[in-house]
Amino acid sequence: MNQMTQAERSVQTGTGDVKFECRDVQVWYGEKHALKDVGVDILDKTVTAFIGPSGCGKSTFLRCLNRMNDTIPAARVGGQMLLDGEDIYDPRVDPVQLRARVGMVFQKPNPFPKSIYDNVAYGPRIHGLAPTRADLDAVVEKSLRRAALWDDVKDRLDDTGTGLSGGQQQRLCIARAIATSPEVLLMDEPCSALDPIATAQIEELIDELRDRYSVVIVTHSMQQAARVSQKTAFFHLGHLVEYASTDDIFTSPKDPRTESYITGRIG
Amino acid sequence: MSPLATIITILGLAGLGYLLGHRRAVALVAGDTRRLHSRPAYHGWQVALLAALPALGLLVLGGLARPLIPGAGALASPAAMLLGLAGLGAGLVRVSADFRARNAVERMIGLLLILCSLIAIATTLGIVLSLVFESASFFRLYPWQDFLFGTEWSPRFGGGSKLGMLPLLWGTLYISLIALLVAVPVGLFAAIYMSEYATRRVRSVVKPAIEVLAGIPTIVYGLFALATVGPLIRDWLAQPLGFGNSSASVATAGLVMGIMLIPFVSSLSDDIINAVPQSLRDGALGLGSTPSETIRHVVIPAALPGIVGAVLLAASRAIGETMIVVLGAGAMAKISGNPFEAMTTITVKIVGQLTGDNDFNSPETLVAFALGLTLFVMTLGLNVFALYIVRKYREQYE
Amino acid sequence: MSDPAMPAARARRSLLKTDPGTSRRNAAERRFRAYGAAAVVVAMAALAALMFTVFRDGASAFVQARATIPVVIAADVVDPDGNRDPAEMAGVLTMSYGRLLDQALTREIERRNIQVEGLTQRDITGFLSAQARADLRRAVLADPALVGQEIEWRMMTSSRVDGMLKGRVTRDTAARDAKTSVAQYDLAMALRDQGVVRAGFNWRFITAPDGSDSRPESAGLGVAILGSLYMMLIVLVLALPIGVAASIWLEEFAPKNRLTDVIEVNISNLAAVPSIVFGILGLAAFINFVGLPRSAPIVGGLVLTLMTLPTIIIATRAALKAVPPSIRDAALGVGASRMQTVFHHVLPLAMPGILTGTILGLAQALGETAPLMLIGMVAFVSTYPSAPPQGLLDPASALPVQIYNWTQRADPAFFERASGAIIVLLAFLLAMNLIAIWLRRKFERRW
Repeated sequence: MNQMTQAERSVQTGTGDVKFECRDVQVWYGEKHALKDVGVDILDKTVTAFIGPSGCGKSTFLRCLNRMNDTIPAARVGGQMLLDGEDIYDPRVDPVQLRARVGMVFQKPNPFPKSIYDNVAYGPRIHGLAPTRADLDAVVEKSLRRAALWDDVKDRLDDTGTGLSGGQQQRLCIARAIATSPEVLLMDEPCSALDPIATAQIEELIDELRDRYSVVIVTHSMQQAARVSQKTAFFHLGHLVEYASTDDIFTSPKDPRTESYITGRIG
Repeated sequence: MSPLATIITILGLAGLGYLLGHRRAVALVAGDTRRLHSRPAYHGWQVALLAALPALGLLVLGGLARPLIPGAGALASPAAMLLGLAGLGAGLVRVSADFRARNAVERMIGLLLILCSLIAIATTLGIVLSLVFESASFFRLYPWQDFLFGTEWSPRFGGGSKLGMLPLLWGTLYISLIALLVAVPVGLFAAIYMSEYATRRVRSVVKPAIEVLAGIPTIVYGLFALATVGPLIRDWLAQPLGFGNSSASVATAGLVMGIMLIPFVSSLSDDIINAVPQSLRDGALGLGSTPSETIRHVVIPAALPGIVGAVLLAASRAIGETMIVVLGAGAMAKISGNPFEAMTTITVKIVGQLTGDNDFNSPETLVAFALGLTLFVMTLGLNVFALYIVRKYREQYE
Repeated sequence: MSDPAMPAARARRSLLKTDPGTSRRNAAERRFRAYGAAAVVVAMAALAALMFTVFRDGASAFVQARATIPVVIAADVVDPDGNRDPAEMAGVLTMSYGRLLDQALTREIERRNIQVEGLTQRDITGFLSAQARADLRRAVLADPALVGQEIEWRMMTSSRVDGMLKGRVTRDTAARDAKTSVAQYDLAMALRDQGVVRAGFNWRFITAPDGSDSRPESAGLGVAILGSLYMMLIVLVLALPIGVAASIWLEEFAPKNRLTDVIEVNISNLAAVPSIVFGILGLAAFINFVGLPRSAPIVGGLVLTLMTLPTIIIATRAALKAVPPSIRDAALGVGASRMQTVFHHVLPLAMPGILTGTILGLAQALGETAPLMLIGMVAFVSTYPSAPPQGLLDPASALPVQIYNWTQRADPAFFERASGAIIVLLAFLLAMNLIAIWLRRKFERRW
């Protein structure tokens, strides 16, 4: 994957339809205006990377996409965010249902203190997606296979998830997230707590996930964004500065701030 | 000479020692204090501490030995004074320009600090010794099998008492059980509500209010049980349902004790729930759990060992609680399943047998120490186990 | 996407419509939340009920009905020898003064032309507190010039009459009560209407010593407050330095070894030992073994000191821990010894936290009852202990034990006293907690 050429990637880009359509998104944390007038179209079956210096709002925006910001009492969100044409901040929308369709993987691997099996089965269980034990077994196996973890853990599904290595834990969290068969997978710096080898494995996995899901990844590493994504959005001080295909961002950025960032002058 | 006068004299001696030591140090270098290793004040302190500490120590030892060695009490005072004078002299002799007075003072203070720390051990030792010795004299007068396994409690000061512990143990456990049935759900749910749902405003009112509940002395709860809850339960539950007409009852004491334990359970649970990392909550919410599912499936299982520890600590409190049961549970020693009947507990009987004029040679008085020993062993076991669990739990998330 | 194992195959529903499963889960969510709110409400309601009953039952203890009537100190009764010598007048018993008061009350009833049907001599005698005779006798012995004069004398009424003015005793209950009567009730009402009997603030309740079983109206908290005060002083003088010293050693100097572990485990366990066990320790060690007197504040103070130590040590260690290591490094860096660093820099910075913890520990000790009962503080004490240090060995009571004591007495007026005493106790606790909060606010420091 890491050796994939630019030409190959260009061919694969642009196959997805628009999954998320965001217009004029604003976020306030109390008095602080954390995100200003963000408009972006996130494509299906595409990896979209959000990059930018810390505190630029990229994680904040990611957390808006499945309404995780609702859990912070002081946060307010404005603007329009349409998932398949439906406003996810419509009062009729239940965030619980939304989050089943827009899964999330976090910065630090956070497996529940349960068995590996129960970790993966958790989502399908609460959403009632697998009526029988056989269904559940099948979902767990499929998810673990997709997360490239099955071969490592198939003999010890009853062991606790916290006993795995860091990279395995993160893959378990990815398996857990895809077990509810979401359409969008949000990843908030999924490799920042991992060593280089585990990072490479996760990056490879992200590329494979692209044929089924729309993947949005926040990363502080420009190399990672260049390696895994087809579209890149650059955030700075709460503004979306530039959004284009990854190749364009890294080879011919339009905005001087983007150029400064990718050449290492800000950030 | 009374011990108090001796103490004051010794302290005076120490003050004198300070002045003399200070003076001597300054005089030795003819006022040029830079030639001293330590500042003159340390020389003063060195003499003062040497005069006071051994003498006071001897006085305490003398007081403790008084019952064991006849005449020790009378001898202690003059001996302590002599020791004080000797210390003063020795301290003064040690003063010289090169003498490291600061180090000497710091060594003595360090010793004092250690001695203070050892008071915790001395207290435990004192408790164990007093319980064991008095219990031993009880078991010389009364067979231990009858105490531990007897089902009848009827002390008669004329002799022929039946001092079986089981009815008291039954009452203790029954009341504690009811108390926990009240306190654990209410305390746990209150803690969950406070940490996961309540707005900042609600929290800022409710949290201090629950802490107020924790600061109220148990005698107040006892009077509440006696005067308010007891009659209420009798008139609205026990009598209409035909369960008896006693105002003091297991239910009364249990309910009020449960209220007393609510803040205990809720504040411990609150700490424990807050120790569950936010990332686990995020993980569950990110998968589309409702907040209550997050709590039930992820937070509580993760916090379970800690919560079990908190419940055990609460149980130990309930077993050792005295005033609520003295005023609310009654004095009838019996084994019955009816919660509206008056029953009694170990603590009630300890109070009962040890207040008033007691004859420390009769089994009816000494039995209180055996009851105390039982209580101590039970609560200690629970505490050690609970603290172990809680500590293990904390380490897991540190 | 057509993967049979994955539930993705099911039809996508609109986000805007809540599916039945989610509705069910949301209902469960609301129920769970309601349980939580209910638990909070239950706790708050319990607190409210507790406070309400205490104030409802206890507030009237601070009010006392008193009668003001002219009393003739008849010389032939109080000074039969006629030489005004207090020593000889002391031979006249309280009972004679009681007769003077009865006569005075009877005269007053006649003078005011109050007609009460069925009024007996017993009702008259029982109208005034038995304490009133003793007070009058003491006043006359102190000032023999009063003999032969008529003075306006203000005195306590009996607890039943007191109860009539407060509404505790009604005409109906008076009819059923052997210690009072309907006639006495009518008399009380008539005298109240004429302003002879009036309810006023009851200082005696706070300052007077305990009263005997038959005189609840004279029972006060003076000895108990003094006893509690003495014990708090002992706890402060002993527990604070010892606790701070132990904490300093454990936090700053203790090596990581077996002994330190044993001490730490000991302290956390002592904090959870039932208080009554400390009472047993006090009885067995301080009274039976060392031979200190029963009911003495010194014994209570020592027991409470041992009980409070773990609290103070835990609070002090937390306060010491909160002082950042940079302060220690700075002091060590300029050549201070470790001992100097602790005493000159760390300890002063930790002091507000230590004091807060100490006050809270004292508050806990102030409310402790059970251990004090075992060391004999339930005894009836009606004389004030003398000033310290000798007073520390005199018998005294303590606030919470006095409350218990009053709950055990038959006369219902003592229940009012017990509830009133709780108000006093809670007021002390409130004051201590406010001081602790004030200290924390004033000196709160963030690094």
